[in-house]
Amino acid sequence: MNQRSIEDRITFHESLETMEVDFSEMTFSTKEEIDAFYDEVDRQLAGSGRRWYFLVNYIECVIDPDVWGQFANRGKNSNVSHGLGTVRIGAVAETRDSIRERAKTEKFRANLYANRDEALFALGEMRKRRPAAAPELGEAYVQVDNIYLNFGGIKALQGVGFGVQRGEIFSIIGPNGAGKTSMLNVISGFYRPSQGQIFFEGKDRTHLPTHAVARLGFARTFQNIALFRGMTTLDNIMTGRLLQMRSNVLLDALYWGPAKKEEIKHRERVEEIIDFLEIQAIRKTPVGRLPYGLQKRVELGRALAMEPKVLLLDEPMAGMNLEEKEDMARFVLDVNEQWGTTMLLIEHDMGVVMDISTQVVVLNHGEKIAEGTPDEVRTDPVVIRAYLGAG
Amino acid sequence: MLYREAGQFKTTYAADQAIFPILQDRWVFWGFLIIAFVVPPLTGSQYVMGPILTQLLVFGLAALGLNLLTGYAGQISLGTGGFMAVGAYACYNFALRVPELPLVVDIMLGGVCAALVGIVFGLPSLRIKGFYLAVATLAAQFFLTWIFDHVGWFTNYDPAGVASAPSRTLLGSWAQEGGPLGFLAPINVLVSGPRATPETKYLVTLAIIVALALLAKNLVRSSTGRAWMAIRDMDIAAEIIGINPLRTKLLAFAVSSFYCGVAGALYVFTYVGNADTEAFDLARSFQILFMVIIGGLGSILGAFLGAAFIVLLPVALNITAATLGEGTLSSDTLSNLELIIFGGAIIFFLIVEPNGFARLWQIGKEKLRLWPFPH
Amino acid sequence: MWDPIFFLEVLIGGLLSGVMYSLVALGFVLIFKASGVFNFAQGAMVLFAALTFVLLLEVSGDFWDWTAWLSLGFAAVAGGLFLLDRFPSVLKSKFITPGRLAIAITAIVIVLLPMLFDGGQNMWRGVFIALFIFLVLTIGVRQPRAAAAILLGVALVSFLPGEINFWRSLALTLVIMIILAMAIESMVLRPLVNQEPIILFMATIGLNFVIEGIAQGVWDADVHALDIGIEDIPFEIGGIFISYFDIFAAITAGLLVAGLAIFFHSTRVGRALRAVADDHQAAMSVGIPLQNIWAIVWAAAGIVALFAGMLWGSKLGVQFSLALLAFKALPVLILGGFTSVPGAIVGGLIVGATEKVFEVFVGIPYLGGGTESWSPYMLAMVFLLFRPQGLFGEKIIERV
Repeated sequence: MNQRSIEDRITFHESLETMEVDFSEMTFSTKEEIDAFYDEVDRQLAGSGRRWYFLVNYIECVIDPDVWGQFANRGKNSNVSHGLGTVRIGAVAETRDSIRERAKTEKFRANLYANRDEALFALGEMRKRRPAAAPELGEAYVQVDNIYLNFGGIKALQGVGFGVQRGEIFSIIGPNGAGKTSMLNVISGFYRPSQGQIFFEGKDRTHLPTHAVARLGFARTFQNIALFRGMTTLDNIMTGRLLQMRSNVLLDALYWGPAKKEEIKHRERVEEIIDFLEIQAIRKTPVGRLPYGLQKRVELGRALAMEPKVLLLDEPMAGMNLEEKEDMARFVLDVNEQWGTTMLLIEHDMGVVMDISTQVVVLNHGEKIAEGTPDEVRTDPVVIRAYLGAG
Repeated sequence: MLYREAGQFKTTYAADQAIFPILQDRWVFWGFLIIAFVVPPLTGSQYVMGPILTQLLVFGLAALGLNLLTGYAGQISLGTGGFMAVGAYACYNFALRVPELPLVVDIMLGGVCAALVGIVFGLPSLRIKGFYLAVATLAAQFFLTWIFDHVGWFTNYDPAGVASAPSRTLLGSWAQEGGPLGFLAPINVLVSGPRATPETKYLVTLAIIVALALLAKNLVRSSTGRAWMAIRDMDIAAEIIGINPLRTKLLAFAVSSFYCGVAGALYVFTYVGNADTEAFDLARSFQILFMVIIGGLGSILGAFLGAAFIVLLPVALNITAATLGEGTLSSDTLSNLELIIFGGAIIFFLIVEPNGFARLWQIGKEKLRLWPFPH
Repeated sequence: MWDPIFFLEVLIGGLLSGVMYSLVALGFVLIFKASGVFNFAQGAMVLFAALTFVLLLEVSGDFWDWTAWLSLGFAAVAGGLFLLDRFPSVLKSKFITPGRLAIAITAIVIVLLPMLFDGGQNMWRGVFIALFIFLVLTIGVRQPRAAAAILLGVALVSFLPGEINFWRSLALTLVIMIILAMAIESMVLRPLVNQEPIILFMATIGLNFVIEGIAQGVWDADVHALDIGIEDIPFEIGGIFISYFDIFAAITAGLLVAGLAIFFHSTRVGRALRAVADDHQAAMSVGIPLQNIWAIVWAAAGIVALFAGMLWGSKLGVQFSLALLAFKALPVLILGGFTSVPGAIVGGLIVGATEKVFEVFVGIPYLGGGTESWSPYMLAMVFLLFRPQGLFGEKIIERV
């Protein structure tokens, strides 16, 4: 049936992190044919031992509608086990429709392109935004399980659990006193939960002290700004680099050789962040003298200087005017896109939350009452009742 | 040339991070340093070099040590006198029992011993904050002075409990004429003991203190200093950005105690000539704390300005009393008056400028930068 | 050799002297609770109160003596202030303001007094009294009614018949302590409102020097015996000897604590006080007069200092070392928590018992004695490692 062997149709482009699967001019009409092809795909994927982006060429490929289900399922399995994301080229009309339909029900992106160039370009974009566009499947990046937190008689959190995928912008919302900040404090290791566990990259880190959690790659900003008021903007952001600095007290005292070099190196990195946040003018101003909005920005800068894997933002836009909010939202999105940082956000401004989050969890009285995409949460009657009161 | 930074462009981060980024400041600094090294020995006055300048420098160093801990790392300590005593007695015992060691090494070893003791008494700082910590450090003060009073070994079983500094040379006995390092003999001057000249004592003290002050300045502008200040300004936030509070605080205690210990050793070897726990009592701890507060928390320069104020105030009072005429004031009245004026001056300064002399100095410089235009 | 009776005796002796430590510690607690100020000058205040009291007692002999004149003076000032308050029209003149009047009167007194007193110590006393009158006047100008009421009451008490000297001196000392408190409030604390706690702490250390200097310069530095009528003789219960005096001190301390507890929890001033302690600015924003509250608290601390000074003074003699009692109170504070009145008592008991037992059974036999100087601090330090908030402090929940 095929002019080329199945093996020839599977090629790996290491530099692009991409596996190209060529279905062009093939015809699938029986389950066996499909299985034969996918068995080979899976065998090669398993041999590679890593995940790949998939570039699938459907040019003039015909798939019998009877076996479409089988085809799609095998595809999905390969994707779950080894995929980072998929772009598809030139599917014929029927296939295209089937894929689109499937994308809708299974919630993946169809990513259909007319030719190889377009698909490759899209792939490049996808790799740049990698974590945002291609959440890893399976165990969540930050997994919070069944957290209880008590202060004496006060039950701040009661069995809250959720998973944050890599590269997501994940929001926690809820009325005042719902336990949002407590949740963030638990995740950042500042509070020890009375029960429950927190996993990061699949490892249990419930019992680590606060500073060790930071070492793992967690950074945060605070609801009531927690800057080092006696220090300048520059020094504040430089403190964020402390984790990356390797010098010791003797070298520091001599300020010579490695210590000096390191200082300059990190200064350069910090200047990049200062540029990014557009705060060059206040570089040497003590932060205590800055207005509120700028202080929030410096705080974000300090967190960014830590090059975190997960950034926890506690009401980054509270008390800001519209312009400052827009600026801040832009910074959040930019950070997420440029560095693929996973974001966990508490915010009261629903407009912003619904706009920028990929996933939302709703807390009330220390319990989780809803979770889902912004659209799902927005229309959830339980959530509406929590915000507007029973009625 | 006017005091201006306009036109002094920095093209590297290294230049921007220098201690004195402004050219005129560098000139003033070097000029001042040269004066400090050259002028006092030329006067030849034992009074100026000993009780005034050496005392000022030694207490300035202790104040600098305490300032690293209190002003930079935010941990209040009332145990300074105790840590100075550790440095003093450790140095005394090294000098006495190992005469081969250069005196400079003895002094540094004294500082190291003080640092180790400082770490032990710094341990509670992890759990205790603020005034609770201050009171806890009193344990160090009382315990350490008690030990030196009660364990005869420390004072070489001196019946009066006073350890007199032995005569020791800068580079130790090996570097003396005929020793294995005899070629160093010409520069191996006598630094301590009754036969040492006040010039030598003063210059050695000054050299050690300039070096240590420079190291301290470097320390506080590097990552170590930033970690301390982060802990001081907001310990919770510091922890959340990954600063290990125990390590950072203990390091602050160690470095601070090292400086205090060196100051204590210098007090014994180049200033007073003997070690007595009375010299390191609680009053001393408070005196040093005053120097830090009046000079300015979190400022290296401030430590020395504060020391100057506290050392020179009684001198000034004495001179004033003398000029007003002998006999009008009894010595009792004078000492009480000194207490009142001293306390009053402290309150006055706190009200006028809680941030101390260092802040006044800074404000002065900022004004000068714009002078003669007010804005 | 283990002797349970001896141990018990040492323990009880320690506990009772611990009560005396609590008395000093109470002054600290009061001020810390109400103003967040760690008042290092409390020890100096104890010395000042005891010296003032004992010297007034010593100089007063006849009915018409020194103290009587001082009382009359107070009464006159009180009357003047009262009149000034009732008839403000007297001072409508733009030139003569109450403040200027106060300065003028003080100036006249300062000039006159050295003429009356023949130099030396008495001259210093004269200057002190002049400054004191100045304080009364300036404070009186601001709050004439309060000042008039206090002064008038004291002037009356001073003329009580019977044990004239004792009560008169006590009343005068009381008023002097109150005025001292108000002076501290207006000259030291008010300009430093909203400063960092450490700055306020340093200011009180400065204050400590000033008060010590005044106390010794104006009065003198000798040791004075003070007899308050309770003899330090032991009585025996079941083979254990206990001093009457210690029992008396314990009862006094108990009464003071009970009084303070009621004051803090059941009065309007007490509530305002707690509000001020919690947050200066918030308290001011709801209209609590910060200055008055502080003045009241410092006055209360002054009164506690007076009691402590009297008890300690009659035990040790009135002398400079009373000021050092503050250092006995500090570990008590750590153990009990800076803000807890009952904590001060329990802390005092623990410190008293530990240092005596440790000294007698470990210090003297094995360490060469003198361990009392540091053992309470070591105890406090170790204790804090396990319970950083003190014995009675609330568990600290840190929020971000």
